[in-house]
Amino acid sequence: MTSENIIVGVSNLPNQRFKIVSEQGGTFTLMVCGESGLGKTTFINTLFQTTLKHADPHQRRNQPIKRTVEIDVLRAILEEKNFSLRVNVIDTPGFGDNVNNNKSWQTIVDFIDEQHDSYMRQEQQPHRDVKFDLRVHAVLYFIRPTGHGLKPLDIETMKRISTRANLIPVIAKSDTLTAKELQEFKLRIRQVVEAQDIRIFTPPLDESESPDPAVMEHARQLIESMPFAVVGSETKFDNGQGTLVPARKYPWGIVEVENDNHCDFRKLRSLLLRTNLLDLILSTEELHYEAYRKLRLEGSGATDDQSVPVRAPARKLSHNPQFKEEENALKKYFTDQVKAEEQRFRQWEQNIVNERIRLNGDLEDVQTKVKKLEEQVRSLQLKRH
Amino acid sequence: MQAETSVEDFRSTSLAGTTSGVANGGVKLENSPTIEETHAIPDASEGKPTAELETEVESEQDANQQQTGQQLPQQTGIKVLHHRVSGYVGFANLPKQWHRKSIRRGFSLNLLCVGQKGLGKSTLINTLFNKPLYDLSAAATADLAALKLGNAGDRMAGADIDPSQQPREELGTQQQQQQEAGQARDPTKVEVKIETHTTTIEENGVALTLNVIDAPGFGDGINNADAWVPIVREIDHRFDQYLDAENRVDRNSIEDNRVHACLYFIEPTNHSLKALDLEFCKAVHQKCNLIPVIAKSDILTDEEIEEFKATIRGQLENEGIELFEPPQYVLDDKETAARSLQLHSQMPYAIVGSTTQVSTADGRQVRGRAYPWGVIEVDNAAHSDFVHLRDLLIKVYLMELRRKTENVLYERYRSEKLGFLNIKQDNSVFKEYDPELKQKEEKQLHEAKLAKLEAEMKAVFQQKVNEKEKKLQKSEAELFNRHKEMKDKLTKQLKALEDKKHQLEMSLVNQSANSPAQTKKKGFLR
Repeated sequence: MTSENIIVGVSNLPNQRFKIVSEQGGTFTLMVCGESGLGKTTFINTLFQTTLKHADPHQRRNQPIKRTVEIDVLRAILEEKNFSLRVNVIDTPGFGDNVNNNKSWQTIVDFIDEQHDSYMRQEQQPHRDVKFDLRVHAVLYFIRPTGHGLKPLDIETMKRISTRANLIPVIAKSDTLTAKELQEFKLRIRQVVEAQDIRIFTPPLDESESPDPAVMEHARQLIESMPFAVVGSETKFDNGQGTLVPARKYPWGIVEVENDNHCDFRKLRSLLLRTNLLDLILSTEELHYEAYRKLRLEGSGATDDQSVPVRAPARKLSHNPQFKEEENALKKYFTDQVKAEEQRFRQWEQNIVNERIRLNGDLEDVQTKVKKLEEQVRSLQLKRH
Repeated sequence: MQAETSVEDFRSTSLAGTTSGVANGGVKLENSPTIEETHAIPDASEGKPTAELETEVESEQDANQQQTGQQLPQQTGIKVLHHRVSGYVGFANLPKQWHRKSIRRGFSLNLLCVGQKGLGKSTLINTLFNKPLYDLSAAATADLAALKLGNAGDRMAGADIDPSQQPREELGTQQQQQQEAGQARDPTKVEVKIETHTTTIEENGVALTLNVIDAPGFGDGINNADAWVPIVREIDHRFDQYLDAENRVDRNSIEDNRVHACLYFIEPTNHSLKALDLEFCKAVHQKCNLIPVIAKSDILTDEEIEEFKATIRGQLENEGIELFEPPQYVLDDKETAARSLQLHSQMPYAIVGSTTQVSTADGRQVRGRAYPWGVIEVDNAAHSDFVHLRDLLIKVYLMELRRKTENVLYERYRSEKLGFLNIKQDNSVFKEYDPELKQKEEKQLHEAKLAKLEAEMKAVFQQKVNEKEKKLQKSEAELFNRHKEMKDKLTKQLKALEDKKHQLEMSLVNQSANSPAQTKKKGFLR
């Protein structure tokens, strides 16, 4: 006999989870990617309402652009309402800034892979209580607001990122496009993304178990607004109603960052933090990381029945173009050396041939002398008889 | 053995690291990446909780390091910015997102129940989860049937009869049981089996999948030596299953069958723990969260219970047996923290189980047991520790039981097992990503590679050049030799001819001295 009003305590389990997460805090690794001058740093500072990075490092802007794409990691522990989040922002300064950007996505792709690889190796150790995890939970890809479409570099890079991490394309500095231009630009981007089979992160919609229509509607709105058009600003202006809001001030008006009529900043923030942060984290761990791990272990010829951790072979060196150049230079040096030596040997052989001719001549001289003597001897012999 | 010594070694070094860290002001830990406060926290008093949290995290790391053979690198120059955001950002919603997600994904608990027959295990489980997981009347009938068969002298068939009565969960378990059956010929021993019952409990839209693992036969024999062995083997087997699954290439459907908690039923003797109780606790306390309970505690008075509890606690302590301890949260209020302490101090819980509804003197309908002298209410904290047990096991600390199983007990088992399989720890993989260091490392690797390539090419080149040079020198030498040979031969020939010529000339001269010489002479004479 059971009674219905007895508390077992099962309904409190989600609260236990809530408490543990509140206590532990979280980790979020966000990668920003795009040509310089698209406002990546400003956006990050606007998103977290913190000057994480001093925007406009003038020395960087004024310096001649470096040839290779580098990785820049920024670590911060942010606290909001007693909840602390470890934020890692990965920047790729110099991406796409060269004349020839062939393979400039390699650094980005290498970084994502390498973090998966590092985590995998840590996970395989017998003792692994502390792990350093920099697996990228989301990649914000900044598109230049040209109004035309995606560049081949954008397409190639996004394609490669989308197979490894949660890709979220955004239209940078969207206040340079009119509402109509923006709609057309978005449409064009969506068409290209679909045609090129680029997978963009979307909030899960198929949650039949959570029939909360508000959640579903919010997710649908987010998907419809992609790619998000964003404006970033660390400066606050009066919005006309006496409130100071982050905005950009033009002679013809102010662009409010957090105004849904002005840009999609709020939607993007919702996707990144407010509603779908956990989805980003879990899909990275459960889909992208597992996919990488599977690929690596299968590639190493591991079978599926092992009682010991499978070890993947060491990762190959990253594709640094400079390294390749140096290697080629070395090879060329040796090729030249070989050529020089070959030339020397040819000369030598020629000398031998010449020497042979000379010696043969010498021998011939002697031979002639011999012949002459023989002749003389013969004639002498004849004379004798 | 090896792993043990290395743990010891590490413990001492790690401790040394901690003391020096304290000497530096306790902010920096030698082994952990340096944390630099690059952004001042606006208010000193506000900043305090952050600092506390920070040290908490670090000391936790330190504790972990002491337990294991993991060593972390000393890295400098890793900067971490600290900042308390002022406006609305939204990441503080993460716990809420987890809350929602956890409901969607559901929960599960694997609970091991061990105790002699007749201590009310099935009743307690049914009471705890408020669900008839066990058919109590059927169990009694089955017992009776088994007893009758036993009386018929068909002891050998015991192992064969039981599977038809109770469905078995796993093949592995069955094999173990057969092994046990082989040993169970000793009439004083009773075979210990492993059985699993599964059910789903739903409360306000939250679902819990409950697997209760039973060990019928434990402690029921006259000779109970090694009665805990099949149970320990079952716990290990479940760890092994998980380890296998975790190592697999494809881990999409990983199932957690690990034992999250073990309820051990103590007979309410009011004396002390028996040898078997202590042996069992010793055998499992490092492998699962042990929660001992005093069964059917309604036969003991409050004073007797307190005395009995104290005796048991003393015995467990003497044997160094660890019980599950509910954790303290930094964010907890005083009341919650006190409750957590109370839950710990009340162990072992004196419990009463009943699924029967009875009427109290004041007319309430409660789950309890009605005696002529009064009604024991199960859900009344004043009557028994049932509520404590429920809170510890389900309502408040279920997730913590799982976490400890996963992060401490399983990890310990795994480390030992991998150590036993001779898998070496590579501590070089644990480090913060550092672009500069990374670049340096890659450069080194690249240079090493380049140097190797150069050496190889140089060697090949040198060898080829030497070969060619030797060949040319040889043909040169041959040329000269042949020339010399020929020349010598010719010179000899020449010499011989010259000699011959000379001889001939000489003989001609002699001849002319005879005849032509006569002519000459003639000439002279003329």
